[in-house]
Amino acid sequence: MTEDNAPLGSIQVSPRAIATIAYQAAVESYGVVGLASKNLFNGLTNLIVKDPTHGIEINYVDQAINIDLYIVVEYGTNIKTVAANVAKTVRFHVEKALGLPIQEVNVHVQGLRVNAKD
Amino acid sequence: MTPKNAIVNKNRLVILQQYPIDGRGVKKLAQAGYAWLEANRQSVNALNVFPVPDGDTGTNMVLTMQAAMEEIKNSPEQKAGKILEILAQGALMGARGNSGVILSQLWRGFARSVDGKENVDSQDLAKAFVEARDTAYKGVVRPVEGTILTVAKDMAAAAEAAVKEGADPITLLERVLQAADESVQHTPELLPILKEAGVVDSGGKGLFFLLEGMMRWVQGQQLHTAEGTVQPLAALNLENSMESIEAGQDYEVIVDFRPSKPLDLQQFYGDLEKMGTSIQVGEGEGMYRMHIHVPTEKRYEPIDYTMTLGTITNVAMENLMAQMDALSQKTHGFKLKPVEPGEIAVVAVAPGAGIARHFAELGAAAIVEGGQSMNPSTADILSSFENLPTDKVIVLPNNKNIAMAAKASAELTVKKVRVIPSNSVPQGLASMLRLDPKGDLDQVAEEMTKATKQVQTGEVTTATRNVEIDGVKVKIGQLIGLHNGKLVTSAADFEKGCLKLLKKIGLENYEIITLFYGQDVRPEMAEEIAAAIRKAYPKQEIETHEGGQPHYQFIFAIE
Repeated sequence: MTEDNAPLGSIQVSPRAIATIAYQAAVESYGVVGLASKNLFNGLTNLIVKDPTHGIEINYVDQAINIDLYIVVEYGTNIKTVAANVAKTVRFHVEKALGLPIQEVNVHVQGLRVNAKD
Repeated sequence: MTPKNAIVNKNRLVILQQYPIDGRGVKKLAQAGYAWLEANRQSVNALNVFPVPDGDTGTNMVLTMQAAMEEIKNSPEQKAGKILEILAQGALMGARGNSGVILSQLWRGFARSVDGKENVDSQDLAKAFVEARDTAYKGVVRPVEGTILTVAKDMAAAAEAAVKEGADPITLLERVLQAADESVQHTPELLPILKEAGVVDSGGKGLFFLLEGMMRWVQGQQLHTAEGTVQPLAALNLENSMESIEAGQDYEVIVDFRPSKPLDLQQFYGDLEKMGTSIQVGEGEGMYRMHIHVPTEKRYEPIDYTMTLGTITNVAMENLMAQMDALSQKTHGFKLKPVEPGEIAVVAVAPGAGIARHFAELGAAAIVEGGQSMNPSTADILSSFENLPTDKVIVLPNNKNIAMAAKASAELTVKKVRVIPSNSVPQGLASMLRLDPKGDLDQVAEEMTKATKQVQTGEVTTATRNVEIDGVKVKIGQLIGLHNGKLVTSAADFEKGCLKLLKKIGLENYEIITLFYGQDVRPEMAEEIAAAIRKAYPKQEIETHEGGQPHYQFIFAIE
């Protein structure tokens, strides 16, 4: 839990809440066509999960918050730019919502989506 | 335009209207689009609704197109399809920011549609616009309307309609351009955040400029300077109007007004041009802002003239010469090197005007004043480089305490920022010598970091309290000497303080020492100290400069 100790109590934000914000930011990011489970090799079923935080991991190291994103990128785009953009977008939206700095946002490109035409 | 040009342009238009567009035509059109986008880059940047992660849309789209144009410039290919393929590949590789990636997707779809073709006719063009749209839409899970995607969609629709009417390629492009224009104007209706900010979508506008550039080339119009058309208020470049002050222009006059009937812009500009220079017109919520520089005797003319057109709501007048004097006193007349788009820009934090001048002379693109407490904020550092036309930035904090703020500014931007660990002014200056603006960002940063370790920093200042540090006893008011930030000597007066410090550093092992004297030091005293150092160390070269820094009376750069 990330805590902010106000004088009359404490404010705790759950990892799930952070993940939800990160997820919304990620799916709006251009070039990201899906979020995938870390274990993509487990099969297609993992892609169909309706979990609103699927493909996002939130980790705490002491007081620092780290976010890991597992994304699927559209084939034909500049993967490095797309990854950098989604990292920036997620960081921006999460930091804005939380009011706390995020230490690391790591992007893992799990796969590319290729169209029939490619 | 000379008659010769007029004939060439008429021929160009006639040929382009009659025949499908060949490889050469594609190259020319793309080049024209890129040039016009470049010319209007600033006004696209100004449309960005802050705060948004995709920094400068204009710069990003220009850099993306630049990469694309580089690829086709050197290519001997003749076929239209092949050239577009190479262009799209270049755009992909050079895509910057969200807008750059979407633009690269548009080119990718466009090129794929005409793969293998030697020429493109109206049918081909329409199919290409459609495929461009489809490819772009596919690249995101939740396409947002009121963005460049919507403009691409409306462009494709116009292209299809034009083909049905049997239009030639040029007429088709004209229809597409018109649709793009209308679509861009309509984006605030689709995206509330745009309406709130009073702007249109930046990416869409960039796409519009690309297309407009092409049509301007067809018509033989110039492509290097943005036209004097109305811009959104946010795009008015009023802070930089100082740079273009011409002889005879004494006053800056800004008038906000509501016209009583629709403004004839051509007439308005024409009339203003008779009065003065640096004319800019911006449009806001049902009002216009006019900016102009005029000579003293004409200073009321713009106001009287505008009054005939409607209701004036606000007038501002500023004496430019007085402004200039104040400004040049502040900046001590140093000129910063303008940054070439895409090159590395260095931001240096400088504690004094003289030191700032040194950084400027060595090629710094921006200076952040350290101020009395040498504590510029993250926002100060960020704003110094956010508007530079490049996404490669190197920051020299020149002080251990500022490194944090510098790193924080790197997190707040989409630009690539490297913070060099320069803990003192001498380290910062030494690293400037390794700057290669055209080089690879990380390599240059590495070189600059290495350079910081190759210079010794000496600082002499007055102790503000009694203290014992590292075996050195200091009484309040005494002079203390620091070597690379560590307290190493103390003395009773400046001359002894400097000499003792230099002895401790081992000046005999070095060759050149540069002395920067602070704002509280008289130049005569600095010269005396320099003379004393020369006497003690005849083999070493010593240079004296006015640094203007607060607190540290003397800063030594020793190499």
